[in-house]
Amino acid sequence: MDAETMRLLAAGISMGVGAIGPGIGIGILGMGAMNALGRNPEARGAILTNMMIAIAMAEAVAIYALVVAIILIFVPVAYNV
Amino acid sequence: MSEQKPVAEKKAGKKIGCLGCSFSLGIFIFIIAVLVLFIVSLALGPIGQGFLGIKPPEWLTVPTPHVLLPAEEIFHIGPFAVTNSLITSWLTMLLLILISLLVVKRSKLIPSRFQSLVESVFEWLYNFCKEAAGEKNGRRFFPIITTIILFVLFNGWLSLLPGFGSIMVHTAEGHELPLLRGANTDINTPLALALISFVFIETIGITSGGFHYLKKFMNVGRLGKGFGKLFRGQVKSGLGDMFFGLIDGVVSLIEFISEFFRIISLTFRLFGNMLGGEILVLMFLFLFFVTPVIIPHGLELIFGLIQALIFGFLTLVFASIAATPHEGEEH
Repeated sequence: MDAETMRLLAAGISMGVGAIGPGIGIGILGMGAMNALGRNPEARGAILTNMMIAIAMAEAVAIYALVVAIILIFVPVAYNV
Repeated sequence: MSEQKPVAEKKAGKKIGCLGCSFSLGIFIFIIAVLVLFIVSLALGPIGQGFLGIKPPEWLTVPTPHVLLPAEEIFHIGPFAVTNSLITSWLTMLLLILISLLVVKRSKLIPSRFQSLVESVFEWLYNFCKEAAGEKNGRRFFPIITTIILFVLFNGWLSLLPGFGSIMVHTAEGHELPLLRGANTDINTPLALALISFVFIETIGITSGGFHYLKKFMNVGRLGKGFGKLFRGQVKSGLGDMFFGLIDGVVSLIEFISEFFRIISLTFRLFGNMLGGEILVLMFLFLFFVTPVIIPHGLELIFGLIQALIFGFLTLVFASIAATPHEGEEH
């Protein structure tokens, strides 16, 4: 398997595996927010705001993985042939 | 009168549709037609060509989609290259300015239907801002957040109209390129919006908190106190202060970097979602050229709205965090 194939494979794997953690994390955040909203529907504004902040932090990790994948695909590398 | 009522009820119960057939028959025929179109497009498309070896006529084949990440340049104004996504964002701006002029110039106290539609959208966005940022800050941030949300929303939704990606034009170098491309699928538009958001958040922070806002990012106060205590002879508490001051310093450095990372995360969230949606539509068009394309097309509707709201909401939340004065540390 040559280097070019490996790079594409690595890009796919990095984005795929890198999305597992943030996906689960955002789901847990949503669950917590739904629980809190069910107990106290009046605090909707505060709950939503804080949930959004936490989701933005969790999603940033997935975006790190996306940036790595994009760099792997689109940045040409000089190989030591 | 009493004889006409049962007849009317019987007619309403049978639900006369078009051509004299009943309503359920019409739905049945519609579903059958959709399924037939789906199977035909599967058979004549690339999947059918691969498995069954059918050669469809020239006008039914969809060419292999090419997705180019950088937007294609159409013409040059002097040294400035105009790309097709730039043309689309000009269209969006034109549409938004037109809507605003129509509503503002002809506004009446008792609003017409169009004016009340625009007013209801603005009222919803205003409540959105106030819910997230409080009364005073909501009013303060409302113009720029609404601009960002409406701009991203109209960019996303305009790219669903027919003509975007299919009208081809010949450039001076001889390539044949699509004239219009959704403005959010070029990375420059989300990047520009993210930079504007960043400057906005920092400006709000500096005007609300003054110098203390910037001091949050270089939190070496405790470290300095620790050094002072060491020199004055209180070694133990001085070392403890130095240790925690070092931790404070590292945390503030991480926060400083994460302020800048917000630009990248805002950009790539919007860009990735929009480009992914467009690639999905292209792939569905290539695989089945008729009915199932409506699925990713409809998903783009939902995602355009959600991503616009998330972009605006995150900017709003970060700005409201920056605006609240940092209450009470251990000083």
